[in-house]
Amino acid sequence: MQTPLRDIVAVQAQTWSGISQPNEAAGVMADALAASIAGFTALRGQLAFEDEPSSFEAALQATKEPQP
Amino acid sequence: MNAAAKSSLLHLSLTDAADALKDGSVTAVELTTVALEAFTRIDKAINSAIWLEGAAALEAAEALDKKRKSGATLGPLHGLPLAHKDMYYKAGKLSTCGSAIRKDFRPGYTATVMERLEEAGSVTLGGLNMAEFAQNPTGHNQHYGHCRNPWHTDYCTGGSSSGSGAAVAARLVYGALGSDTGGSIRLPAAICGVTGIKATQTRVSRHGVMPLSFSADNVGPLTQTARDAARFLGVIAGHDPKDPTSSAEPVPDYEAALTGDIRGMRIGVPTNYFFDGIDPEVQAAFDAMVAVLEARGAIILPVTIPHMDAVATYGGIVSRVEGGTIHAQWMRERPQDYAVHLSGRLYPSQGIPGTYYIEALARRGAILKAVAAAVFGVCDAFITPTLRMKVPTLLATDIDAGTPGAIETFQDVSINTRPINYLGLPSVSVPCGLDSNGLPIGFQIQGRPFAEARVLKIADAYQRDTGWHRRLPPNVS
Repeated sequence: MQTPLRDIVAVQAQTWSGISQPNEAAGVMADALAASIAGFTALRGQLAFEDEPSSFEAALQATKEPQP
Repeated sequence: MNAAAKSSLLHLSLTDAADALKDGSVTAVELTTVALEAFTRIDKAINSAIWLEGAAALEAAEALDKKRKSGATLGPLHGLPLAHKDMYYKAGKLSTCGSAIRKDFRPGYTATVMERLEEAGSVTLGGLNMAEFAQNPTGHNQHYGHCRNPWHTDYCTGGSSSGSGAAVAARLVYGALGSDTGGSIRLPAAICGVTGIKATQTRVSRHGVMPLSFSADNVGPLTQTARDAARFLGVIAGHDPKDPTSSAEPVPDYEAALTGDIRGMRIGVPTNYFFDGIDPEVQAAFDAMVAVLEARGAIILPVTIPHMDAVATYGGIVSRVEGGTIHAQWMRERPQDYAVHLSGRLYPSQGIPGTYYIEALARRGAILKAVAAAVFGVCDAFITPTLRMKVPTLLATDIDAGTPGAIETFQDVSINTRPINYLGLPSVSVPCGLDSNGLPIGFQIQGRPFAEARVLKIADAYQRDTGWHRRLPPNVS
Protein backbone atom coordinates (compact mmCIF):
# COMPACT_ATOMS: atom_id res chain seq x y z
CA MET A 1 0.00 0.00 0.00
CA GLN A 2 1.29 3.49 -0.88
CA THR A 3 2.19 5.88 1.93
CA PRO A 4 -0.47 8.62 2.11
CA LEU A 5 0.86 11.93 0.82
CA ARG A 6 0.04 13.68 4.07
CA ASP A 7 2.43 11.32 5.86
CA ILE A 8 5.21 12.00 3.35
CA VAL A 9 4.67 15.76 3.68
CA ALA A 10 4.64 15.47 7.48
CA VAL A 11 8.07 13.81 7.48
CA GLN A 12 9.50 16.27 4.94
CA ALA A 13 8.08 19.36 6.66
CA GLN A 14 9.34 18.29 10.06
CA THR A 15 12.70 16.97 8.89
CA TRP A 16 13.66 19.79 6.56
CA SER A 17 11.85 22.76 8.08
CA GLY A 18 10.80 21.90 11.64
CA ILE A 19 7.14 22.51 10.74
CA SER A 20 4.29 20.34 12.01
CA GLN A 21 0.89 19.78 10.43
CA PRO A 22 -1.20 22.54 12.03
CA ASN A 23 -4.71 21.19 11.46
CA GLU A 24 -6.81 18.68 9.52
CA ALA A 25 -7.33 21.08 6.61
CA ALA A 26 -3.54 21.07 6.13
CA GLY A 27 -3.63 17.29 5.85
CA VAL A 28 -6.41 17.45 3.25
CA MET A 29 -4.44 20.04 1.26
CA ALA A 30 -1.28 17.90 1.53
CA ASP A 31 -3.23 14.96 0.08
CA ALA A 32 -4.36 17.28 -2.72
CA LEU A 33 -0.75 17.61 -3.90
CA ALA A 34 -1.53 14.42 -5.77
CA ALA A 35 -3.01 16.56 -8.53
CA SER A 36 0.23 18.55 -8.83
CA ILE A 37 2.28 15.35 -8.93
CA ALA A 38 0.04 14.02 -11.70
CA GLY A 39 0.52 17.28 -13.58
CA PHE A 40 4.30 17.11 -13.30
CA THR A 41 4.29 13.44 -14.23
CA ALA A 42 2.40 14.22 -17.42
CA LEU A 43 4.90 16.93 -18.31
CA ARG A 44 8.02 14.80 -17.86
CA GLY A 45 10.54 14.97 -20.67
CA GLN A 46 9.77 18.55 -21.70
CA LEU A 47 12.55 20.27 -19.76
CA ALA A 48 15.79 20.45 -21.75
CA PHE A 49 19.04 19.67 -19.95
CA GLU A 50 20.40 23.17 -20.60
CA ASP A 51 17.32 25.10 -19.44
CA GLU A 52 18.02 27.61 -16.68
CA PRO A 53 15.57 29.58 -14.55
CA SER A 54 16.68 32.89 -15.98
CA SER A 55 14.80 33.50 -19.19
CA PHE A 56 11.41 34.84 -18.09
CA GLU A 57 12.30 38.56 -18.05
CA ALA A 58 14.01 38.12 -21.42
CA ALA A 59 10.86 36.43 -22.72
CA LEU A 60 8.73 39.39 -21.56
CA GLN A 61 10.94 41.67 -23.64
CA ALA A 62 11.07 39.30 -26.61
CA THR A 63 7.29 38.99 -26.81
CA LYS A 64 6.25 42.52 -25.86
CA GLU A 65 3.77 44.76 -27.67
CA PRO A 66 5.58 46.72 -30.40
CA GLN A 67 5.62 50.45 -29.66
CA PRO A 68 3.75 52.62 -32.19
CA MET B 1 -24.89 70.06 0.97
CA ASN B 2 -27.71 67.52 1.47
CA ALA B 3 -27.21 63.75 1.75
CA ALA B 4 -28.17 63.05 -1.87
CA ALA B 5 -25.76 65.67 -3.19
CA LYS B 6 -22.97 64.24 -1.03
CA SER B 7 -23.60 60.71 -2.26
CA SER B 8 -23.68 61.82 -5.85
CA LEU B 9 -20.15 63.19 -5.46
CA LEU B 10 -18.95 59.71 -4.56
CA HIS B 11 -20.79 58.19 -7.50
CA LEU B 12 -18.55 60.12 -9.89
CA SER B 13 -15.77 58.20 -11.53
CA LEU B 14 -12.21 59.01 -10.47
CA THR B 15 -11.57 61.03 -13.62
CA ASP B 16 -14.89 62.90 -13.37
CA ALA B 17 -14.17 63.73 -9.72
CA ALA B 18 -10.72 64.98 -10.78
CA ASP B 19 -12.44 67.23 -13.35
CA ALA B 20 -14.83 68.55 -10.68
CA LEU B 21 -11.86 69.40 -8.46
CA LYS B 22 -10.10 71.08 -11.37
CA ASP B 23 -13.03 73.31 -12.31
CA GLY B 24 -13.51 74.31 -8.67
CA SER B 25 -16.99 72.85 -8.22
CA VAL B 26 -15.77 70.79 -5.29
CA THR B 27 -12.77 70.74 -2.95
CA ALA B 28 -10.52 67.97 -1.67
CA VAL B 29 -11.80 68.63 1.85
CA GLU B 30 -15.42 68.19 0.69
CA LEU B 31 -14.64 64.93 -1.13
CA THR B 32 -12.63 63.59 1.80
CA THR B 33 -15.38 64.53 4.24
CA VAL B 34 -18.12 62.78 2.24
CA ALA B 35 -15.92 59.71 1.79
CA LEU B 36 -15.28 59.46 5.52
CA GLU B 37 -19.00 59.95 6.21
CA ALA B 38 -19.82 57.21 3.70
CA PHE B 39 -17.49 54.80 5.49
CA THR B 40 -19.32 55.58 8.75
CA ARG B 41 -22.72 55.07 7.10
CA ILE B 42 -22.09 52.05 4.88
CA ASP B 43 -19.01 50.16 6.05
CA LYS B 44 -20.60 48.54 9.10
CA ALA B 45 -22.39 46.23 6.68
CA ILE B 46 -19.49 45.42 4.36
CA ASN B 47 -16.42 45.78 6.60
CA SER B 48 -14.11 47.03 3.85
CA ALA B 49 -11.76 49.04 6.10
CA ILE B 50 -9.35 47.78 8.74
CA TRP B 51 -8.36 51.27 9.85
CA LEU B 52 -9.02 54.87 8.83
CA GLU B 53 -7.18 58.06 9.74
CA GLY B 54 -9.83 60.70 9.21
CA ALA B 55 -8.09 63.64 10.87
CA ALA B 56 -4.83 63.07 9.00
CA ALA B 57 -6.73 62.67 5.73
CA LEU B 58 -8.62 65.92 6.22
CA GLU B 59 -5.39 67.71 7.08
CA ALA B 60 -3.79 66.39 3.88
CA ALA B 61 -6.87 67.42 1.87
CA GLU B 62 -6.74 70.93 3.30
CA ALA B 63 -3.07 71.25 2.30
CA LEU B 64 -3.94 70.05 -1.21
CA ASP B 65 -6.72 72.64 -1.53
CA LYS B 66 -4.28 75.36 -0.48
CA LYS B 67 -1.78 74.12 -3.05
CA ARG B 68 -4.45 74.29 -5.75
CA LYS B 69 -5.29 77.87 -4.81
CA SER B 70 -1.61 78.80 -4.95
CA GLY B 71 -1.49 78.02 -8.67
CA ALA B 72 1.17 75.31 -8.25
CA THR B 73 1.51 72.48 -10.75
CA LEU B 74 -0.80 69.66 -9.66
CA GLY B 75 -0.64 65.91 -10.08
CA PRO B 76 -3.19 63.77 -11.95
CA LEU B 77 -4.86 62.58 -8.74
CA HIS B 78 -4.84 65.90 -6.92
CA GLY B 79 -7.39 65.96 -4.11
CA LEU B 80 -8.90 62.50 -4.66
CA PRO B 81 -9.58 60.34 -1.58
CA LEU B 82 -8.28 56.80 -1.96
CA ALA B 83 -7.68 53.90 0.44
CA HIS B 84 -5.53 50.86 -0.11
CA LYS B 85 -5.20 47.21 0.70
CA ASP B 86 -3.51 47.14 4.09
CA MET B 87 -0.15 45.85 2.87
CA TYR B 88 1.38 48.99 1.36
CA TYR B 89 3.97 50.29 3.77
CA LYS B 90 4.03 53.89 4.91
CA ALA B 91 6.69 54.79 7.45
CA GLY B 92 5.25 54.75 10.96
CA LYS B 93 1.72 53.79 9.83
CA LEU B 94 -0.09 50.57 10.59
CA SER B 95 0.17 47.81 7.98
CA THR B 96 -1.58 44.71 9.32
CA CYS B 97 -1.40 42.69 6.09
CA GLY B 98 -4.80 41.39 7.22
CA SER B 99 -3.10 39.29 9.87
CA ALA B 100 -2.95 38.81 13.62
CA ILE B 101 0.79 38.30 13.33
CA ARG B 102 1.28 41.84 12.02
CA LYS B 103 -1.57 43.50 13.90
CA ASP B 104 0.80 46.11 15.34
CA PHE B 105 3.32 46.26 12.48
CA ARG B 106 4.47 49.76 11.61
CA PRO B 107 7.17 49.68 8.91
CA GLY B 108 10.05 52.11 8.93
CA TYR B 109 9.88 52.95 5.24
CA THR B 110 7.33 53.80 2.57
CA ALA B 111 6.31 51.85 -0.52
CA THR B 112 7.24 53.49 -3.80
CA VAL B 113 3.64 53.20 -5.04
CA MET B 114 2.41 55.06 -1.96
CA GLU B 115 4.99 57.80 -2.55
CA ARG B 116 3.92 58.09 -6.19
CA LEU B 117 0.21 58.21 -5.34
CA GLU B 118 0.70 60.93 -2.75
CA GLU B 119 3.08 62.88 -5.00
CA ALA B 120 0.27 62.74 -7.58
CA GLY B 121 -1.97 64.46 -5.03
CA SER B 122 -4.17 61.68 -3.69
CA VAL B 123 -5.45 61.64 -0.12
CA THR B 124 -4.93 58.35 1.74
CA LEU B 125 -7.85 57.50 4.03
CA GLY B 126 -6.53 54.27 5.54
CA GLY B 127 -5.93 50.55 5.15
CA LEU B 128 -8.52 48.26 3.59
CA ASN B 129 -9.54 44.74 4.52
CA MET B 130 -7.82 41.88 2.73
CA ALA B 131 -7.27 38.17 2.91
CA GLU B 132 -4.71 37.31 5.59
CA PHE B 133 -1.29 37.92 4.00
CA ALA B 134 -3.10 38.18 0.62
CA GLN B 135 -3.43 34.41 0.60
CA ASN B 136 -7.03 33.62 -0.36
CA PRO B 137 -9.23 34.28 -3.40
CA THR B 138 -12.49 34.80 -1.48
CA GLY B 139 -11.95 37.64 1.01
CA HIS B 140 -12.42 35.65 4.20
CA ASN B 141 -10.61 37.14 7.17
CA GLN B 142 -10.82 35.56 10.62
CA HIS B 143 -8.94 38.38 12.35
CA TYR B 144 -10.71 41.54 11.17
CA GLY B 145 -14.00 39.97 10.07
CA HIS B 146 -14.89 38.83 6.58
CA CYS B 147 -15.27 41.56 4.01
CA ARG B 148 -18.82 41.38 2.63
CA ASN B 149 -20.07 41.96 -0.88
CA PRO B 150 -21.92 45.27 -1.24
CA TRP B 151 -24.28 43.59 -3.74
CA HIS B 152 -25.36 41.02 -1.12
CA THR B 153 -23.59 40.62 2.19
CA ASP B 154 -24.01 36.82 2.32
CA TYR B 155 -21.68 36.54 -0.67
CA CYS B 156 -17.92 36.74 -0.82
CA THR B 157 -16.16 39.78 -2.26
CA GLY B 158 -13.38 37.85 -3.92
CA GLY B 159 -9.85 38.20 -2.70
CA SER B 160 -7.35 38.79 -1.78
CA SER B 161 -7.98 42.53 -2.34
CA SER B 162 -11.43 42.19 -0.77
CA GLY B 163 -11.70 45.62 0.83
CA SER B 164 -10.44 47.32 -2.33
CA GLY B 165 -13.17 45.71 -4.44
CA ALA B 166 -15.91 46.31 -1.87
CA ALA B 167 -14.94 49.93 -1.11
CA VAL B 168 -14.85 50.92 -4.79
CA ALA B 169 -18.12 49.07 -5.50
CA ALA B 170 -19.83 50.76 -2.53
CA ARG B 171 -18.53 54.12 -3.79
CA LEU B 172 -16.58 54.84 -0.62
CA VAL B 173 -13.43 55.78 -2.53
CA TYR B 174 -12.56 56.56 -6.16
CA GLY B 175 -9.92 53.88 -6.36
CA ALA B 176 -7.81 51.53 -4.31
CA LEU B 177 -4.57 49.63 -4.64
CA GLY B 178 -4.91 45.89 -4.73
CA SER B 179 -2.32 43.22 -5.40
CA ASP B 180 -2.53 40.23 -7.72
CA THR B 181 -0.50 37.03 -7.43
CA GLY B 182 -3.13 34.59 -8.69
CA GLY B 183 -6.09 36.87 -9.42
CA SER B 184 -6.31 39.02 -6.30
CA ILE B 185 -7.12 42.24 -8.18
CA ARG B 186 -9.24 40.73 -10.94
CA LEU B 187 -11.34 38.46 -8.72
CA PRO B 188 -12.66 41.16 -6.37
CA ALA B 189 -13.05 43.44 -9.38
CA ALA B 190 -15.24 40.87 -11.14
CA ILE B 191 -17.14 39.79 -8.02
CA CYS B 192 -17.81 43.34 -6.81
CA GLY B 193 -18.62 44.78 -10.27
CA VAL B 194 -15.66 47.14 -10.70
CA THR B 195 -12.65 47.40 -13.02
CA GLY B 196 -9.25 46.07 -11.96
CA ILE B 197 -5.96 45.74 -13.80
CA LYS B 198 -2.96 43.52 -13.16
CA ALA B 199 -0.21 44.91 -15.33
CA THR B 200 2.65 42.98 -16.92
CA GLN B 201 4.91 41.27 -14.38
CA THR B 202 7.64 43.84 -13.50
CA ARG B 203 5.58 46.85 -14.67
CA VAL B 204 4.93 48.29 -11.17
CA SER B 205 7.42 48.57 -8.30
CA ARG B 206 7.00 46.26 -5.33
CA HIS B 207 9.34 48.11 -3.00
CA GLY B 208 7.62 48.45 0.37
CA VAL B 209 4.88 45.98 -0.51
CA MET B 210 4.22 42.88 1.61
CA PRO B 211 5.55 39.92 -0.39
CA LEU B 212 3.58 36.79 -1.13
CA SER B 213 5.48 35.43 -4.12
CA PHE B 214 8.54 37.17 -5.55
CA SER B 215 7.91 35.73 -9.02
CA ALA B 216 4.20 36.42 -9.35
CA ASP B 217 3.27 39.44 -7.17
CA ASN B 218 1.81 42.46 -8.95
CA VAL B 219 0.54 45.83 -7.74
CA GLY B 220 -2.42 47.50 -9.44
CA PRO B 221 -5.61 49.51 -9.06
CA LEU B 222 -9.29 48.75 -8.68
CA THR B 223 -11.50 51.56 -9.93
CA GLN B 224 -14.94 52.22 -11.34
CA THR B 225 -13.94 52.57 -15.00
CA ALA B 226 -11.16 51.62 -17.41
CA ARG B 227 -10.31 55.30 -17.80
CA ASP B 228 -9.89 55.58 -14.03
CA ALA B 229 -7.61 52.54 -14.08
CA ALA B 230 -5.56 54.07 -16.91
CA ARG B 231 -4.97 57.27 -14.97
CA PHE B 232 -4.19 55.40 -11.73
CA LEU B 233 -1.82 52.93 -13.42
CA GLY B 234 -0.05 55.76 -15.22
CA VAL B 235 0.90 57.19 -11.82
CA ILE B 236 2.30 54.01 -10.30
CA ALA B 237 3.88 52.25 -13.32
CA GLY B 238 7.53 52.56 -14.28
CA HIS B 239 10.99 51.63 -13.14
CA ASP B 240 11.94 52.10 -9.52
CA PRO B 241 15.62 51.97 -8.52
CA LYS B 242 14.48 50.63 -5.15
CA ASP B 243 12.98 47.59 -6.91
CA PRO B 244 15.61 46.26 -9.32
CA THR B 245 13.08 43.74 -10.65
CA SER B 246 10.88 46.54 -12.00
CA SER B 247 11.01 47.09 -15.75
CA ALA B 248 12.73 50.06 -17.40
CA GLU B 249 10.23 49.84 -20.29
CA PRO B 250 8.84 53.37 -20.94
CA VAL B 251 5.33 54.06 -19.59
CA PRO B 252 3.01 55.26 -22.35
CA ASP B 253 0.10 57.66 -21.85
CA TYR B 254 -2.55 55.02 -21.13
CA GLU B 255 -5.45 57.48 -21.24
CA ALA B 256 -4.41 58.73 -24.67
CA ALA B 257 -4.95 55.21 -26.01
CA LEU B 258 -8.63 55.21 -24.99
CA THR B 259 -10.13 56.31 -28.27
CA GLY B 260 -13.00 53.83 -28.36
CA ASP B 261 -11.82 52.66 -31.78
CA ILE B 262 -11.29 48.90 -31.77
CA ARG B 263 -12.28 48.43 -35.42
CA GLY B 264 -10.26 45.63 -36.96
CA MET B 265 -8.73 44.59 -33.66
CA ARG B 266 -8.43 40.81 -33.52
CA ILE B 267 -9.69 39.46 -30.21
CA GLY B 268 -9.33 35.76 -29.47
CA VAL B 269 -11.71 33.58 -27.49
CA PRO B 270 -9.92 30.47 -26.20
CA THR B 271 -11.22 27.11 -27.37
CA ASN B 272 -9.56 25.29 -24.48
CA TYR B 273 -9.33 25.42 -20.67
CA PHE B 274 -11.04 28.71 -19.77
CA PHE B 275 -14.63 27.60 -20.42
CA ASP B 276 -14.51 24.06 -19.01
CA GLY B 277 -17.52 23.53 -16.75
CA ILE B 278 -18.60 27.17 -17.02
CA ASP B 279 -21.87 28.24 -15.41
CA PRO B 280 -24.50 28.90 -18.11
CA GLU B 281 -25.29 32.37 -16.73
CA VAL B 282 -21.62 33.35 -16.90
CA GLN B 283 -21.44 31.98 -20.45
CA ALA B 284 -24.52 33.99 -21.47
CA ALA B 285 -23.08 37.21 -20.06
CA PHE B 286 -19.79 36.50 -21.83
CA ASP B 287 -21.54 35.89 -25.15
CA ALA B 288 -23.49 39.14 -24.82
CA MET B 289 -20.24 40.97 -24.10
CA VAL B 290 -18.63 39.48 -27.22
CA ALA B 291 -21.54 40.80 -29.30
CA VAL B 292 -20.84 44.32 -28.01
CA LEU B 293 -17.17 44.11 -29.02
CA GLU B 294 -18.17 42.77 -32.43
CA ALA B 295 -20.64 45.60 -32.91
CA ARG B 296 -17.77 48.00 -32.20
CA GLY B 297 -15.85 46.49 -35.10
CA ALA B 298 -13.59 44.01 -33.33
CA ILE B 299 -12.89 40.74 -35.13
CA ILE B 300 -13.64 37.86 -32.80
CA LEU B 301 -11.86 34.60 -33.55
CA PRO B 302 -11.26 31.27 -31.81
CA VAL B 303 -7.78 30.66 -30.50
CA THR B 304 -6.17 27.67 -28.83
CA ILE B 305 -3.83 28.53 -25.98
CA PRO B 306 -0.96 26.03 -26.08
CA HIS B 307 0.61 24.37 -23.05
CA MET B 308 -2.33 25.05 -20.74
CA ASP B 309 -1.63 21.84 -18.79
CA ALA B 310 1.88 23.08 -18.11
CA VAL B 311 0.72 26.63 -17.31
CA ALA B 312 -1.85 25.33 -14.82
CA THR B 313 0.54 22.84 -13.22
CA TYR B 314 3.56 25.12 -12.97
CA GLY B 315 1.50 28.19 -12.08
CA GLY B 316 0.10 26.30 -9.12
CA ILE B 317 3.55 25.60 -7.73
CA VAL B 318 5.56 28.81 -7.91
CA SER B 319 3.60 31.06 -5.57
CA ARG B 320 2.87 28.22 -3.14
CA VAL B 321 6.55 27.42 -2.66
CA GLU B 322 7.60 31.06 -2.44
CA GLY B 323 4.78 31.83 0.02
CA GLY B 324 5.65 28.79 2.07
CA THR B 325 9.27 29.91 2.22
CA ILE B 326 8.38 33.45 3.30
CA HIS B 327 6.13 32.16 6.09
CA ALA B 328 8.29 29.25 7.28
CA GLN B 329 9.56 30.96 10.43
CA TRP B 330 6.08 31.93 11.63
CA MET B 331 4.78 28.47 10.68
CA ARG B 332 7.41 27.01 13.02
CA GLU B 333 6.89 29.46 15.85
CA ARG B 334 3.22 30.51 15.85
CA PRO B 335 1.10 28.48 13.42
CA GLN B 336 -1.92 28.99 15.69
CA ASP B 337 -1.91 32.70 14.79
CA TYR B 338 -2.90 31.96 11.19
CA ALA B 339 -6.47 31.19 10.14
CA VAL B 340 -7.01 27.46 9.54
CA HIS B 341 -7.36 27.88 5.77
CA LEU B 342 -4.04 29.74 5.58
CA SER B 343 -1.86 27.53 7.74
CA GLY B 344 -3.50 24.63 5.91
CA ARG B 345 -2.47 26.13 2.58
CA LEU B 346 1.07 27.12 3.63
CA TYR B 347 1.93 23.78 5.19
CA PRO B 348 1.92 21.48 2.11
CA SER B 349 4.40 23.75 0.31
CA GLN B 350 7.05 22.23 2.60
CA GLY B 351 6.47 18.92 0.82
CA ILE B 352 6.96 20.22 -2.73
CA PRO B 353 10.44 19.28 -4.03
CA GLY B 354 12.80 22.08 -4.96
CA THR B 355 13.31 20.41 -8.31
CA TYR B 356 9.61 20.92 -9.11
CA TYR B 357 9.87 24.60 -8.21
CA ILE B 358 12.94 25.08 -10.41
CA GLU B 359 11.28 23.22 -13.28
CA ALA B 360 8.26 25.54 -13.01
CA LEU B 361 10.49 28.63 -13.12
CA ALA B 362 12.83 27.24 -15.78
CA ARG B 363 10.04 26.65 -18.26
CA ARG B 364 8.23 29.95 -17.66
CA GLY B 365 10.07 31.94 -20.33
CA ALA B 366 9.88 29.22 -22.96
CA ILE B 367 6.17 28.72 -22.35
CA LEU B 368 5.49 32.46 -22.54
CA LYS B 369 7.28 32.57 -25.90
CA ALA B 370 5.29 29.61 -27.20
CA VAL B 371 1.98 31.08 -26.01
CA ALA B 372 2.82 34.50 -27.44
CA ALA B 373 3.74 33.02 -30.82
CA ALA B 374 0.60 30.90 -31.05
CA VAL B 375 -1.88 33.41 -29.62
CA PHE B 376 -0.54 36.85 -30.44
CA GLY B 377 0.53 35.67 -33.87
CA VAL B 378 -3.15 35.55 -34.79
CA CYS B 379 -4.82 38.01 -32.43
CA ASP B 380 -4.07 41.23 -30.56
CA ALA B 381 -5.66 40.20 -27.28
CA PHE B 382 -7.72 37.36 -25.86
CA ILE B 383 -10.71 37.40 -23.55
CA THR B 384 -12.07 34.94 -21.00
CA PRO B 385 -14.52 34.98 -18.11
CA THR B 386 -12.74 36.11 -14.93
CA LEU B 387 -14.55 33.35 -13.00
CA ARG B 388 -16.25 30.34 -14.51
CA MET B 389 -18.71 30.12 -11.63
CA LYS B 390 -21.31 32.45 -10.22
CA VAL B 391 -20.23 34.34 -7.11
CA PRO B 392 -20.19 31.88 -4.18
CA THR B 393 -21.43 32.68 -0.70
CA LEU B 394 -19.02 33.26 2.16
CA LEU B 395 -20.31 30.08 3.78
CA ALA B 396 -19.79 27.88 0.70
CA THR B 397 -16.10 28.81 0.64
CA ASP B 398 -15.44 28.90 4.39
CA ILE B 399 -12.75 26.31 5.08
CA ASP B 400 -12.37 27.41 8.69
CA ALA B 401 -16.07 26.73 9.31
CA GLY B 402 -15.63 23.22 7.91
CA THR B 403 -18.14 23.67 5.09
CA PRO B 404 -18.15 20.47 2.99
CA GLY B 405 -16.62 21.12 -0.44
CA ALA B 406 -15.19 24.49 0.62
CA ILE B 407 -11.59 23.57 -0.24
CA GLU B 408 -12.54 22.60 -3.80
CA THR B 409 -14.77 25.66 -4.38
CA PHE B 410 -12.06 27.87 -2.91
CA GLN B 411 -9.55 26.50 -5.46
CA ASP B 412 -11.97 26.84 -8.36
CA VAL B 413 -12.56 30.57 -7.79
CA SER B 414 -9.14 31.49 -9.23
CA ILE B 415 -8.87 28.80 -11.92
CA ASN B 416 -9.05 31.34 -14.80
CA THR B 417 -6.86 34.00 -13.23
CA ARG B 418 -3.87 32.00 -11.93
CA PRO B 419 -2.54 31.01 -15.38
CA ILE B 420 -2.26 34.65 -16.41
CA ASN B 421 0.10 35.33 -13.50
CA TYR B 422 2.37 32.49 -14.54
CA LEU B 423 2.48 33.93 -18.06
CA GLY B 424 3.08 37.45 -16.68
CA LEU B 425 0.60 39.04 -19.10
CA PRO B 426 -1.34 42.26 -18.51
CA SER B 427 -4.97 41.54 -17.69
CA VAL B 428 -7.93 43.78 -16.88
CA SER B 429 -11.21 42.52 -15.43
CA VAL B 430 -14.35 44.36 -16.50
CA PRO B 431 -17.97 43.99 -15.28
CA CYS B 432 -20.28 42.48 -17.92
CA GLY B 433 -23.49 41.41 -16.19
CA LEU B 434 -25.38 40.31 -13.12
CA ASP B 435 -26.30 36.73 -12.28
CA SER B 436 -29.69 35.50 -11.09
CA ASN B 437 -28.65 36.18 -7.49
CA GLY B 438 -27.97 39.80 -8.37
CA LEU B 439 -24.18 39.40 -8.10
CA PRO B 440 -21.76 40.75 -10.72
CA ILE B 441 -20.13 38.81 -13.57
CA GLY B 442 -16.81 39.89 -15.09
CA PHE B 443 -14.54 39.11 -18.02
CA GLN B 444 -10.80 39.58 -18.37
CA ILE B 445 -8.80 40.90 -21.32
CA GLN B 446 -5.18 39.81 -21.87
CA GLY B 447 -2.57 41.25 -24.19
CA ARG B 448 1.11 40.83 -24.94
CA PRO B 449 3.62 41.87 -22.29
CA PHE B 450 3.47 45.65 -21.78
CA ALA B 451 0.21 45.94 -23.77
CA GLU B 452 -1.61 47.64 -20.88
CA ALA B 453 -2.76 50.42 -23.22
CA ARG B 454 -4.34 47.89 -25.56
CA VAL B 455 -6.25 45.92 -22.92
CA LEU B 456 -7.46 49.16 -21.34
CA LYS B 457 -8.51 50.42 -24.77
CA ILE B 458 -10.71 47.36 -25.29
CA ALA B 459 -12.12 47.70 -21.78
CA ASP B 460 -12.90 51.37 -22.32
CA ALA B 461 -14.49 50.69 -25.71
CA TYR B 462 -16.77 48.11 -24.08
CA GLN B 463 -17.69 50.48 -21.27
CA ARG B 464 -18.66 53.19 -23.77
CA ASP B 465 -21.53 50.96 -24.91
CA THR B 466 -22.52 49.34 -21.62
CA GLY B 467 -23.45 50.42 -18.13
CA TRP B 468 -22.46 47.48 -15.93
CA HIS B 469 -19.55 49.42 -14.42
CA ARG B 470 -21.92 52.28 -13.51
CA ARG B 471 -24.46 50.13 -11.69
CA LEU B 472 -24.74 50.64 -7.96
CA PRO B 473 -25.21 47.86 -5.41
CA PRO B 474 -28.79 47.93 -4.05
CA ASN B 475 -27.96 49.39 -0.64
CA VAL B 476 -25.58 52.07 -1.85
CA SER B 477 -27.20 55.46 -2.16
